[in-house]
Amino acid sequence: MDMIMPVVVATLGAGTPLIFAALGELVAEKSGVLNLGVEGMMLVGAIVAFITMLGTGQLWLGVAAAGVAGALMALLFAFATLTLQANQVAAGLALAIFGAGVSAFIGKGYVGVTLQNAANGGISLPIDIPLLGPLLHSLHPLVYASWLLFAGVTWFLTRSRAGLVLRAVGESPASAHAVGYPVIRIRYFATLFGGAMAGVGGAYLSLVYAPLWLEGMVAGRGWIALALVVFATWRPARVMLGAYLFGGITIVQYFAQSAGIAFATQFMSMLPYLATIVVLVVISRDVAMIRRNAPVSLGKPFHPSV
Amino acid sequence: MQLRLEPRALQSRAMRYASPVIAAALTLVMGFILFAALGKNPLAAFHAFFIAPINSINGVAELFLKASPLVLIAIGLAVGFRSNIWNIGAEGQLTVGAIAAGWVALNPAFADSPLLLAGMIVAGAVGGMAWAAVPAFLRTRFNANEILVSLMLTYVAQLLVNYLVFGPWRDPQGFNTPQSPLFADAALFPILIENTRLNASVLLTLVAVAVGWVFLNKSFLGYKTRVVGLSSAAARYAGFSEKRTVWIGMLAGGAAAGLAGVGEVAGPLGQLFPTISPGYGFTAIIVAFVGRLDPVGIVFAGLLMSLLYLGGDSAQISMGLPAAAASLFQGALLFFLLGADVLVNYRVRVIRAGPVARRSFSA
Amino acid sequence: MRIVNRRDFLKSASSLGIAAIGARAVDAFAQDVLNVGVVHQFPIGEVGWETQHALGYKAMEAAFPGKVKVTVVADVQQAQDSERVFRELASQGNKLIFGTTFSHMAPMLKVARTAPNTYFDCCASVTTLKNMGAFEARNYEASYIAGVIAGRMTRSNILGWVGAFPIPQTVWRMNGFMIGARSVNPKAVCNVIWINTWNDPAKEKDAVGALISQGADVLAGSPNTPVQGVAAEERGAWSIANCSDFSKFVPKKQLTGDIFDWRSAYVDSARDALAGKWKAQDRFRGLGEGGFCAMVPYNAAIPAEVVADARQREKDIVSGKLKVFAGPLKDRDGKQHVAAGASLSDKEIRSINWLVAGINGPFPKS
Repeated sequence: MDMIMPVVVATLGAGTPLIFAALGELVAEKSGVLNLGVEGMMLVGAIVAFITMLGTGQLWLGVAAAGVAGALMALLFAFATLTLQANQVAAGLALAIFGAGVSAFIGKGYVGVTLQNAANGGISLPIDIPLLGPLLHSLHPLVYASWLLFAGVTWFLTRSRAGLVLRAVGESPASAHAVGYPVIRIRYFATLFGGAMAGVGGAYLSLVYAPLWLEGMVAGRGWIALALVVFATWRPARVMLGAYLFGGITIVQYFAQSAGIAFATQFMSMLPYLATIVVLVVISRDVAMIRRNAPVSLGKPFHPSV
Repeated sequence: MQLRLEPRALQSRAMRYASPVIAAALTLVMGFILFAALGKNPLAAFHAFFIAPINSINGVAELFLKASPLVLIAIGLAVGFRSNIWNIGAEGQLTVGAIAAGWVALNPAFADSPLLLAGMIVAGAVGGMAWAAVPAFLRTRFNANEILVSLMLTYVAQLLVNYLVFGPWRDPQGFNTPQSPLFADAALFPILIENTRLNASVLLTLVAVAVGWVFLNKSFLGYKTRVVGLSSAAARYAGFSEKRTVWIGMLAGGAAAGLAGVGEVAGPLGQLFPTISPGYGFTAIIVAFVGRLDPVGIVFAGLLMSLLYLGGDSAQISMGLPAAAASLFQGALLFFLLGADVLVNYRVRVIRAGPVARRSFSA
Repeated sequence: MRIVNRRDFLKSASSLGIAAIGARAVDAFAQDVLNVGVVHQFPIGEVGWETQHALGYKAMEAAFPGKVKVTVVADVQQAQDSERVFRELASQGNKLIFGTTFSHMAPMLKVARTAPNTYFDCCASVTTLKNMGAFEARNYEASYIAGVIAGRMTRSNILGWVGAFPIPQTVWRMNGFMIGARSVNPKAVCNVIWINTWNDPAKEKDAVGALISQGADVLAGSPNTPVQGVAAEERGAWSIANCSDFSKFVPKKQLTGDIFDWRSAYVDSARDALAGKWKAQDRFRGLGEGGFCAMVPYNAAIPAEVVADARQREKDIVSGKLKVFAGPLKDRDGKQHVAAGASLSDKEIRSINWLVAGINGPFPKS
């Protein structure tokens, strides 16, 4: 039974980059913007954070830099789609590819370099709680930050005025515009936020999880994050669940291998992707539920009539 | 003074052709700045990137060899993209097509058949279509987003070929390295130009260009799929089936990608490896867009993209430019194109605010 | 282009009589400046597989100052592209071209057949041609020594191995490791996890976590990044470096490592080419002078008599007294592969696809 704790800790860690990227994308999508470039933004965030950390030794500076970098990449996308009215799907794909190229380019001199003080600053509690104590101690502050993010995003979307406006923009931009809200500007902020969070997710990978830089090290997690938003039907709590589920499948697969469960490892590696498909199908078949929860204007360009 | 975007009543024809050129020009400018910033002579770098690779017959053959799968897949994808069917999993469909062709090639029962290569081609197309059928089915039946399903299946396909070459299809004469046995000569595409690698699979691409052009521009079915893409409400009103469009869009992309897979394994590779394609399925997406989803444009875009690949290697060899420069260009090209495309649908107006009459310039 | 000109020169020169040409022909092959091409599959980092090759050809440049010019092309990931790059390098006058990984073997064979006047040398290739040689490291010798250390330093008797792909190079290293460990600690076992990727450090870390949680206290493996060592050190476990020395990143808990040393591969090949005496060879060397692998300096925490034993075994391997794959050797299913008194042949080693007893975990059956 003392196998459970390490699996839980590892799962929480594996889910964290997904949570950052997915929650960020969720906010963007709630405002009606579909940004497929998450993978590219995460990669750029990862390398920028890495370089910053290498230079300054400050974890939070690295994370902040990653956020800025992710937001800048998202700005490219936002400008193309919100101002220039380009097709959101194509622009998102372009961002994913461009981000991969940019990150490889600036990361050239850092391939294989590894950080030593992968700050594992877990929280130590003054009192000794039996199960939670050691668990909380082994979690990285960024994992806690992801929980705070979840709380913040939930509060923002459901309780705050600004969140209501954002959701209105996503549901019916024409009406929001008629009432006087600056639709495009709101979407810009939402998209930049999404980019910043994707950057932070990438930073977690390169600063805490790995901690080194390798080209393409995000390894598809950006796409998984996109899938998570859909199968969470755009609700933050389900994003958390989905992220941990996905992370958990990957982790459990390794524990199974190590325990000697011998089956072709490639099929076990397929499990997370197949599971994503299955859950997507299960969620999507309820068209009514999707229609209820998906922002109506998702992916459609909005052109304020003059 | 203000710049305002005004929607045009009609798409500007001139801009439709001009915007890829503008995008290419902007990419070149970016390249110029980049090379200079890296301390390399920009003109020499341009020569290395764009002229040197095609300076010989071999170079031109390589250009076409690399452009062929890109164009082939892009045409298939364009059929889907025009109807808003986003097949992002072409890479996986290529892999499965290669696996299917490999199964035919390695199967002793077919070894002596004169139809071996033809069988491989058919198998490849069927394999790719089968893999694309999954997201098509899940979309039409369960409304699952085809972008995500097709993408997830890409990872699954790559793990599948990995399993096969490490396991049941590993070459028994190969010292247990992960590769399939070499395909027999009868299972390889014949070389078209001696001393080059340009093989007959490029003919498949030419056929696809022709078929694609006819389908998209002349056939009623193609017209229907385009309407679905432009306005699903109008399409429904006219009785055009959206479900059928999904199937056509996905299967066209799957077949094309599968054929490209055959082209790789029965062409330059000659056997199955743990990875089959250097990302053709993804690059083809860029090619499709830069080619404005039109077969003729796609041919040019494919050649350009192929040149960027070749140029990347050539620039490394002769100038020590970093390897990542090529993918940087590819992504930038698409971005610039998306930006330049705005001029197709919108007009830029310069408005001078003021009490007196406004003078406006439109582009 | 230079190669063509030389051929023409030889053709016309040979018509004047052999004896007079003899000396000149040899000169014609001897190079003033040897142009060398090297292709890497992945970008060159600070440590890792590509780095060890870079160290190799840098040593080559240093050994023949001014006489060797190296053109490096990195990040050519697919076989279709490496074939084109090899051909381009050959056509641009590079006389000696190196491939740095087993996936270069197939494309290089194709190019070598069409460029008979260029010398090719491919790391980890199992086939050679008249103008294509191969070089491979018997790093099972080094991993055997690492296993000996691991076997002595483990407290839990559980070792952990993170595998990328089950290729023969990895399998023989694992087997060497296990044989070494069991030679000093018959109770040792090794759990293996395959992550099926070379490029996902997060998965490496997850695998390390799983192995340690299931009791491993010495980690070894094959993805060529320091992540394993760093992750192991975080959890207080020992690690064995592989491919390069990771102690810069794993300052405390790296026991040792079995690393590649390709310097003599490059230097010897260049020397032969410069002297006009290049011949295709299949070099399969291990520890020792002029060999292709080496041990990383031992951690100070290892007790002196363990280090002394390891050093002695190293000497015995180099002298031939100790053979890692000496019989009797059974695989983990009990099938005997080597009889008592015999030892695995090179061919059997290079195509090895079975695991020795003591290694637990999945393994593909072909």
